[in-house]
Amino acid sequence: MNLHLNYTRKDSAPATTSDVVETVLSLLEEGHIQPAQFARLEIHLDWLQYKQNFREAVTVMQGGDEHGGSAAPMEIRIDSRQVAPGALRGLLQAAIGPAKPGEESGRVYFEDFRSFRTSIVWEFNRLYWQRLKDWERVTGKAYDQALPGGQSDGNQAQSVADSVAEFWKLLKDLEGQNRLPPEIFILEIGVGSGKHAALWLDSFCVFDQERGSNYYPRLRFLLGDYSLATLEYSRPAVKKHIDLCSFIAIDALDPIRTLSFLRHKVLHVHSTNMYDNLPDEEVVWRDNRIYWVQSRAYLPPADAARISRACDVAIEDIPKIANRLLEVGAVALPDRAKGMIFWMELWKAMRTEEKLVDAVDMPDASFPAGLSSAHMEDILRNAPNDLRFHLSPGALESFRNTLPLLHPRGYLQVQDIFVTDLQDYSMGFHGPGKLDGSIVNWVNGALLREVAERAGYDLHFAPFKYRPGSKTSVLYTTRRE
Amino acid sequence: MTLPILPTTMVGSYSMPGWLERLKTDYFARRISRHDLDEIHDAAVRSAIKDQEMAGLDIVTDGELRRDNMIDYFVERLPGIQIDRSSKKFYYDFYDSEVLGKIPMAAVGLVEDFRFLLANTERAAKICITGPHSLCKRVRNKHYPTEEALATDIARVMNMELKELVKAGAKFIQIDEPYYSGFPEDISWGVKVLNILVEGVQAKIAVHICYGNRYGKPSWEGSYRYLFPAILDAKVNSLSLEFARRGGEDLDLFREFKVPFELGAGVIDVKDNSVETPDIVAERIRKTMKVVPPEKLYVLPDCGLFHLPRDIAFAKLRAMVEGARIVRKELGK
Repeated sequence: MNLHLNYTRKDSAPATTSDVVETVLSLLEEGHIQPAQFARLEIHLDWLQYKQNFREAVTVMQGGDEHGGSAAPMEIRIDSRQVAPGALRGLLQAAIGPAKPGEESGRVYFEDFRSFRTSIVWEFNRLYWQRLKDWERVTGKAYDQALPGGQSDGNQAQSVADSVAEFWKLLKDLEGQNRLPPEIFILEIGVGSGKHAALWLDSFCVFDQERGSNYYPRLRFLLGDYSLATLEYSRPAVKKHIDLCSFIAIDALDPIRTLSFLRHKVLHVHSTNMYDNLPDEEVVWRDNRIYWVQSRAYLPPADAARISRACDVAIEDIPKIANRLLEVGAVALPDRAKGMIFWMELWKAMRTEEKLVDAVDMPDASFPAGLSSAHMEDILRNAPNDLRFHLSPGALESFRNTLPLLHPRGYLQVQDIFVTDLQDYSMGFHGPGKLDGSIVNWVNGALLREVAERAGYDLHFAPFKYRPGSKTSVLYTTRRE
Repeated sequence: MTLPILPTTMVGSYSMPGWLERLKTDYFARRISRHDLDEIHDAAVRSAIKDQEMAGLDIVTDGELRRDNMIDYFVERLPGIQIDRSSKKFYYDFYDSEVLGKIPMAAVGLVEDFRFLLANTERAAKICITGPHSLCKRVRNKHYPTEEALATDIARVMNMELKELVKAGAKFIQIDEPYYSGFPEDISWGVKVLNILVEGVQAKIAVHICYGNRYGKPSWEGSYRYLFPAILDAKVNSLSLEFARRGGEDLDLFREFKVPFELGAGVIDVKDNSVETPDIVAERIRKTMKVVPPEKLYVLPDCGLFHLPRDIAFAKLRAMVEGARIVRKELGK
């Protein structure tokens, strides 16, 4: 058995390392764990980083075979914060022991095993952004108050001022070479409340006036978001600059599709905390093989019963009503208030089961555009064994489909949470977690860097220095020669 | 070999297959031998020639599939240029290279590759080389007092090579000078060096000037106006320029400056994966014919097809050939 200790916090953890070892050994001695099983066990303790997440206190990762069945457990992950005192043994025994014939788990499933990126949980993420006001009305909090630090790092005034100064320098340089285009296009993807765009434009206007450069009237500031509701929501924030602004519904995964008329014309693309909210999935690199992590969303029995009682719905109807909720929002139930409770409680309780599937059994599964399996093998050649990491397909897709918009001297700047070295995945868990009604995932910056290099850009990651303790990094591109 | 009116050809490179990229990188990682890589290149080049023939091109190239990029193929062969062979991570990266002394006059060794092309096609064949201005921008100059002096010596060596190519049967030669667009202030000495390069070379010579295609994206933006009037002194037959992606506004320069050259007009956007229809190509040719008569016009993509997937590159060439046929028919040819 291998025991991996990740972020063990004794002060808040009822289950400690010694508890885990003792419990597993006693289960082995008592015959609840077979020796062959024991030899293959990988136990990760304190695996979870986000308090709100999709796991139970003890989760088992099943290894799947080519027929879709499941073999013996390979991996157990324990979130000690969720383990009640004295409960560890029972939880482990239940997780490891074989299911008894005919025994029902009582879990309410929303889907079959599938790639996490196509899971229903992402539909809930979409629902949140499309019906953000409904959620905020109930919680009484704006979405960015849920962020660490209580506000988006995108709205930090000094950071915005520095970004403006950098951009102005580029414009000045282009003007000096007689290459400044008549229209200066800037794109923000994922506009949130519009505060960042407003701050940026305010700051640019002042900076430009102070220097008499008169670039401000030439700005064409595009606010792009896939949610029309969010675009509307952002409009009042930029009303002072409204003549320079365009509000465009774009698919964050494929900006060039909507904005093809701006191919090679945009001088600055910005986004904040957008990549971490795009569909994701994970893979495992173990013994020189790639495994896909498949998942299926479910409600634990106790939560299903609680929601059933609170919302007057039959347990067996929960999946059907959940799908209706995704289509129409809280009016999925006759009582809208109960509809909101249904949504929020469902989201809070939703969990995912996982299994590993050998990549050779999934010939149709493909890596995101820009990453071939051969390229992945090259990347993983020197990676540590037994590495579980994000593939960040949403972020990679968005990134690749944004680059063609860039002017030859243009650059992309992204404030987000990045894992910048693959090795860092062996030192902690980086999502998925829940942030209010949305999903948060760290973004695999190491893979982004690889894809960028093949697309003609070098990627740089700088720590966000404007808020102490911030986990945000700033990604920016420079042209690769 | 008689060419039709509006002859069609590639700018030089053809789609680089993913498998060949992998094998080239394997070679740099010492996982395959030079001998194996040469055989692989031969197969890839034959395939690229066949694709051009099937698409219906009148003048074909070897697809430049032996080349890692437009610079390294030449700096590896130019005598007197030092290369740091550990400086590549991916085959497409540029080598770090420098010149520490005077470049000696010696063969560059392009003739073999051209003979291979001739042996594998019945069509007219074109060889493309990177010009001295572009080459000197990628080589660290630690010897010559100026870039012009370095480019001049590169031109002298390459001039000898071009003459060898002509002896081997080269009738169409294209000089690629995209870096003119990045350094417009160099244009007058750039043209002087170009003339040294082509002096006494008895072939149809075109100079290709675009806005860059590194990684399939433009390296610069602007107008071809910077070329004039200096380019009018170039001793070449033809200019090959990109118009599909950038639009045809700069075509007016041909009228304004009474340009004496033939024009290789870029009518296929190589930086966009959507395939043009033959009608769009025909329209672009007609637009060009408003300033350049059809007898002086060649039909080409904007630049090399290196970064396009093969199926798209092939479809674009087919559309280009069809577009040219439509216009030929209208001209009664």
